[in-house]
Amino acid sequence: MPPHHDNISPFGGFGLGLRRTHYDDFLGGFEAGKVPVDFVEVISENYMIEGGRQLRILEQVRKDFPVIIHGVSMSIGSAHGLDADYLAKLKQLEQRIDPLWVSDHLCWTRTSAHNSHDLLPMPLTEEGLDAVCANIDSAQETLGRAMLFENPSSYLTFPEDEMSEWDFLTRMAQRTGCYLLLDVNNIYVSARNHGFSAEEYLAGLPLDRVRQIHLAGHDPATPERDIIIDTHDREVADGVWELYAKAMAMLPQPVATMIERDDNIPPLTELLTELDRARAIADEALVPA
Amino acid sequence: MTMTLADRQAVFLRAILDEGAPLPEGWGNSQTAGMAVYRGNYRSALMGALAETYERTRAYVGEGPFAQASINHAIKHPPSGWTIDEAGEGFAQTCAQFFTENPEVAEIAWLEWQMLCLATAPDTPTFGPQDLAAASADFGDDDWEGLRLEFQPRLAARLVDFDLQTLWQALVDDDAQRPDARLESVCTCIAWREGERPTFALFDADHLAAVTAMRDGATYGELIGLLLGESAEPDSGLDDEAIQNAAMRAGAMLGQWLQEGLIVGLNP
Repeated sequence: MPPHHDNISPFGGFGLGLRRTHYDDFLGGFEAGKVPVDFVEVISENYMIEGGRQLRILEQVRKDFPVIIHGVSMSIGSAHGLDADYLAKLKQLEQRIDPLWVSDHLCWTRTSAHNSHDLLPMPLTEEGLDAVCANIDSAQETLGRAMLFENPSSYLTFPEDEMSEWDFLTRMAQRTGCYLLLDVNNIYVSARNHGFSAEEYLAGLPLDRVRQIHLAGHDPATPERDIIIDTHDREVADGVWELYAKAMAMLPQPVATMIERDDNIPPLTELLTELDRARAIADEALVPA
Repeated sequence: MTMTLADRQAVFLRAILDEGAPLPEGWGNSQTAGMAVYRGNYRSALMGALAETYERTRAYVGEGPFAQASINHAIKHPPSGWTIDEAGEGFAQTCAQFFTENPEVAEIAWLEWQMLCLATAPDTPTFGPQDLAAASADFGDDDWEGLRLEFQPRLAARLVDFDLQTLWQALVDDDAQRPDARLESVCTCIAWREGERPTFALFDADHLAAVTAMRDGATYGELIGLLLGESAEPDSGLDDEAIQNAAMRAGAMLGQWLQEGLIVGLNP
């Protein structure tokens, strides 16, 4: 039985990642007034610090917007368990910011010796599932709240895999009581790289556990490299928008949608235009046929 | 023998870190192609982190030499901490070994690292000259003798041979001409935080030993003793004038530290 945590209520807004380039916009410098988003998401690790300007800016932004804290280094799939120092600092940030929710990825990033600083793929095995669930239990226990976990993009699968990624995510959510952050671009990328159906992936998930959607750009395959790469450095691709429309039509509750951009970050207005496209697609998907 | 999850993760990560490491048994072309992406991601993440942390060092040495030094550093010091910023730790030493003809590079890199660390240091109100005046209004000789100082938590100091203020400003201004910045005599560079802004300045060389001793718990009286030891001629007796000079020197240092905002409290 998963330990009890308060349910995470659905939140149906549209948001952006808070990036340094846009600090001034969010601190009141946006020409058209308050930035028209319903929430912002920050990379947890950038704010798991002791003080300074960056933390003060986050606290100021928090006064105007709900904040989601999204991590990349929890290493929930690590066979070596979780890093106690990391969890303690994440807990401090969580208490300081009082976020809408806390999320990370279904992946591992480190061994006991080294850290890859990349979201490495989990072997989709019973042993892998046991390790992930034990770590999620520990993280949720420390934070005192349920978390969201995001499906990763991946560039290889393992010969020893025993289940599909959607089955893994489903069982993970059932066993731990965690929620899901659906990265539609990651589904698109992994489906293309591993030859599975993105629609089958969506249909195989416990969609009632989804609370957030990520949309991002990717680097297409080339003649030299038959793999597409999740890069977050360009606009969302048409195929990803189409998959987003399908996902929105299937979801039984409102979810928070956001555009992720981490490289080649354009002016805020460009991202807001992309976010408007998400709003329009969501509106259309929610209109009863 | 069946591999455990821990075994598999160790082999996987070793293959990312070392391109010559064997890939796991049973892997085919698709896994090999995927591993090439993870290797590329790892390398570009570390290179990117170093380039961001050491923006001025990079501008000073140029793209190619910086990339070579970065690769060298990443191979010798694969990161272990959860924050990628830690990948830059110790890069000044790598620069010292890599740019032997230009020892100023290691000094610029040291300063950039300290500035990064200071940017996220705990916020602490400074303790200025007026605070000291108020706190010491009733001090007797023993109180002064036993006085200890609390410095900013991540304040950093080292001896430097180059005028980092001139070099730093030239890099901020993006001057194509590199200034000849070798100092006539060695100085102490101290980096600290002024409000939210990391900053630094050059001080006389004897500040390093003084700051180091006091951060390690020396009293004001012991600081005077330290300065007396440095100024005394061998075999000379300690006369009143030497003691007075050392006390004045300690007073001048204390005044500078308070004025600049390096001190956050007394008797920690």
